[in-house]
Amino acid sequence: MSASQTLESPKKQYLNALRDAIDEELSLNPDLICLGEDIGLLGGAFGVTEGLQAKYGTDRVFDMPISEAAIIGTAVGAALNGKTVMAEMQFIDFISCGFDQIVNMLATYHYRTAGEVSMPIVVRGPAGAYGGGALYHSQMNEAWFCNAPGLKVVCPSTPADAKGLLTASLRDPNPVLFFEIKELYRKREIEEEIPSHHIVRLGEAAIRRFGSDITLVSYGQNVYHCLQAADELVKEGINAEVIDIRTLVPLDEDTIFASLEKTNRLIVVNEAPMTCGFAGEIIARVSEKAFHLLDAPPVRITRLDTPVPWAKPLELHVLPSVEKIVNLAKRLVAF
Amino acid sequence: MTARKSSSQTTLENQPSSSLPSSQLSRADRLQIFNQLYLARYFDIRLIKEKKRGRLRGTLYSSHNQEAILVGSLFGLKPTDWISPIHRDMPAFFLKDARSGLENPNRMGMSIEQVCCQVWGRVDSPGRARDNWSHIGSKEKHIIHSTSMLAGTIPVAAGVMLADRLNGGDAVCLTYNGEGSTAQGVFHEAVNFAAVRKLPVVTIIENNQWAYGTPVSLECPTEDVARRADGYGILGLVADGQDVFDVYDKVMMAVDHARSGLGPSIVECKTFRAYGHGDHDDDRANKYRPNQEVMEGRSRDPIAICRRKLAALGDLDGASETAYWAEGKSASEATNDDFPPEVVEYLERGIQFALNSAVPDGNEGEQWVFADSEVSR
Repeated sequence: MSASQTLESPKKQYLNALRDAIDEELSLNPDLICLGEDIGLLGGAFGVTEGLQAKYGTDRVFDMPISEAAIIGTAVGAALNGKTVMAEMQFIDFISCGFDQIVNMLATYHYRTAGEVSMPIVVRGPAGAYGGGALYHSQMNEAWFCNAPGLKVVCPSTPADAKGLLTASLRDPNPVLFFEIKELYRKREIEEEIPSHHIVRLGEAAIRRFGSDITLVSYGQNVYHCLQAADELVKEGINAEVIDIRTLVPLDEDTIFASLEKTNRLIVVNEAPMTCGFAGEIIARVSEKAFHLLDAPPVRITRLDTPVPWAKPLELHVLPSVEKIVNLAKRLVAF
Repeated sequence: MTARKSSSQTTLENQPSSSLPSSQLSRADRLQIFNQLYLARYFDIRLIKEKKRGRLRGTLYSSHNQEAILVGSLFGLKPTDWISPIHRDMPAFFLKDARSGLENPNRMGMSIEQVCCQVWGRVDSPGRARDNWSHIGSKEKHIIHSTSMLAGTIPVAAGVMLADRLNGGDAVCLTYNGEGSTAQGVFHEAVNFAAVRKLPVVTIIENNQWAYGTPVSLECPTEDVARRADGYGILGLVADGQDVFDVYDKVMMAVDHARSGLGPSIVECKTFRAYGHGDHDDDRANKYRPNQEVMEGRSRDPIAICRRKLAALGDLDGASETAYWAEGKSASEATNDDFPPEVVEYLERGIQFALNSAVPDGNEGEQWVFADSEVSR
């Protein structure tokens, strides 16, 4: 669907919401520049920046060589010299090519300069599996960056959050890694109306469904798996609460703890692999700070510790699913 | 040493010396350059002495024998130009914009007090001693903050210059790198991008023949590292890194080239690392490097070469020509008497200031991970 078509509908798709956020910030912040591979002429591989170069010019929105380290390094230098930067990774999988610049140059800048230099940079890109993208177009590598102090890490699951969180990220003086779920980019079922200049503060979770028997914590497209699982669980007489954390760093622990006060049971779902994944971090914090609230072991459902394979049965086998969540929830409630 | 010919490159051969940038320098300029070589050398020698007395922690990366590269490249810059020094360039922090007066607090360079506080790990360091040695910088003074990741600041320099041009500026940025760092992928990415956008980034390669324990022949396939410029279609020049005036000439040509919109360049300055990679490596470096190579490398002392040039130009009167004689002396051999008293006093002031500055409070270790956020601008 083209940009002009969606403008006729007051409802926004996730992808258009992202574009609206960038568009509004480009119009409000004269210091904002956007750089990335194929984001200018083409408007981005997925079309997130479609039309923005024509609207704001090649000084504001421009194409970079296939050089992720140079993209991040250039963003850092531009920020050092007064700019706000949106840097697009064509797929979040490719961010590894710029890893050193992110974790050593960008993440540490404010720290090592004792606050002299802040880095208003958003590195955003399409992420996530379930679409047959195979090993190098399916990754959720957010945990790498949660382990690098100085970076905020964001992952919206709805069009309104895509708009609101990206707007907040583009206004944040800190570097933000913004994980967009490409499977949600054009998903019609989640279209919604979004007010202009909509902002969602970083570090605030959303309760997507209220329940009293078990808490399902997730982010990104796994939120929808949790919601579907909650629908299934109702048939079993189990009322699940579903929390979308939306921001991994900083993490809204309080919303999770408050939910556990009611439910006393926790499942965390993420599509990244299990070992050292963010689900493990949430469970560790709950275990350390809210152990007394638990009536059953806190557990996680993640991708198996494998890459994301291509053929559909292989891919679905290793990823979290509604069925896996339902089965584990039933066992936990019976614990 | 001559510049390499290619269609996109400036050649310096056959150029009359009267047209070289250095021919425009006054006697006072040349004497200031000579003095700056002493400043850089004394800084290096004094820190090694301090370390041996146990008054310093951390590794020292000596710029001994490489001072002409720093002095010659910095001297012709405008105050508002940017630089990006790395570990062997410590004197660059206080030599930047030294022409505006070393004691001038408004000059676009760091004070010796700030630099000494960094070396001594004190709170009055520009980075409050949060990272060590050369990992400081200043947005205000247009000095990019380095990390340990070699060539990692070249894309940052490209970004700084990109923003400068978007803002209508005319600055250039000098980035300093060892020859070893040209093997990094980010070196290619950044120089390629700068070339595509004709950004005014001058990449200075301090080719001191050794990347830690590996000779340049195992790091770069061409005789001149500057030939890497050919692949980007940019200016590549080779300077005699021991001759401060040749460095000045080549860097000024590259700077003028960049400032006039013709794009980035690589200026290779041939030099020799006189001692170890760091002071921890001094003894080993005498084993992994052939003794004859080391002796030859140390024999072309940049202070001696500068002194001979100044003497030939009649800049030095009989007494001043031989009053101070630091060249050819190691840190243990040289004494304060080998340096002009104002040079010794300048650094002494910096050291005393640092010794009187506090060490940071431990709690600062958890500060400044993030900047304070406000949702609305």
